[in-house]
Amino acid sequence: MRKYIFISLGGAFGAVLRYVIRSIPTPCYNGNIPLNTLIINIIGSFILALVLTGANEVFKLEADLKLGITTGFIGAFTTFSTLCKETVSLLSNGAYLSAFSYLTLSAILGITAAYLGVVLESAAANIVNKNKKNIKNTVDAKEE
Amino acid sequence: MDLIFVGIGGALGSLTRYQAGKMISRKSGISFPIGTFLINITGAILLGIVSSLDTGKNVYLLFGDGFLGAYTTFSTFMYEGFQLFQDNKKLNALIYILSSLVLGILGYTLAYYLI
Repeated sequence: MRKYIFISLGGAFGAVLRYVIRSIPTPCYNGNIPLNTLIINIIGSFILALVLTGANEVFKLEADLKLGITTGFIGAFTTFSTLCKETVSLLSNGAYLSAFSYLTLSAILGITAAYLGVVLESAAANIVNKNKKNIKNTVDAKEE
Repeated sequence: MDLIFVGIGGALGSLTRYQAGKMISRKSGISFPIGTFLINITGAILLGIVSSLDTGKNVYLLFGDGFLGAYTTFSTFMYEGFQLFQDNKKLNALIYILSSLVLGILGYTLAYYLI
C-alpha cells in the first residue's frame, strides 16, 4: 500500500511540474521545435539514470521511496505521448525538418543524458566507497 | 485549479503505468522492454483519441496532460534503450527506439484522424 501512495504522490508532482514548465514562454527562440518538452525529457532521462544507478551506492534510498521518485515523479515528469502529439502537429504544418530534428534530438540527447547519468553516478559511487574504505582503514589502524 | 486536474491525472497515470508494466513484464522473458513499449504506444493512441474528441479544457487537463502524460514516459524509454546498448544488444536498442517512435506517431495520427 505504501508504495502506491509514494508512486501517486510522485506522479502528481511530476505531472504538475511538467505542465508548469511546458507553459513557460520561450521568447528568445523562434524555431518550431517544442523546446520545453525537449528539455523536460532530456533532464528527466539524466536524473532517472542518476537515481537508478546510485540508489544502491550513494543515495541509499528505501525501496518504496525509490519507486516514488523513479516510477512516480520522473516517470510522470517526462512524457512520450506529448512528444508524439507535437511531432504530428509539426508534420501536419509541413514542418518536416523540424519534426525530424525534434525526434532525432530527443532520442540522441536522451540516450546521451542516460549515459552521462550512469557514468557520473558510477564515478561518484567509487569515490564514496573509497572514502568509506579509507575511514575504515584509519579506524582499524587506530585500534591497532 | 488547472494544476489539481493535472495532478490527479498524473497520480492515476503513474499508478496505471506501474501496474501495467508489472503485469506485462511478468509474462515476457525476452530481452526487449516490451512493457514500456506497449505502454508508450497505447498512450500515444489514446492521446490521439482524446485530442480529436474536442473534450473541453478540464477533461483534457485530466486525461491528456495529466493521465496520459504521466502514463507514458520518456525517461524509462531512454534508460532501457541505453541499457540495451550497454549490454551490447545494439540491434535491439535501435529497433526499440525506432519502432517506439514510429508506431507512437503512427498510432497518434491514425487515432486522431480516424475518430
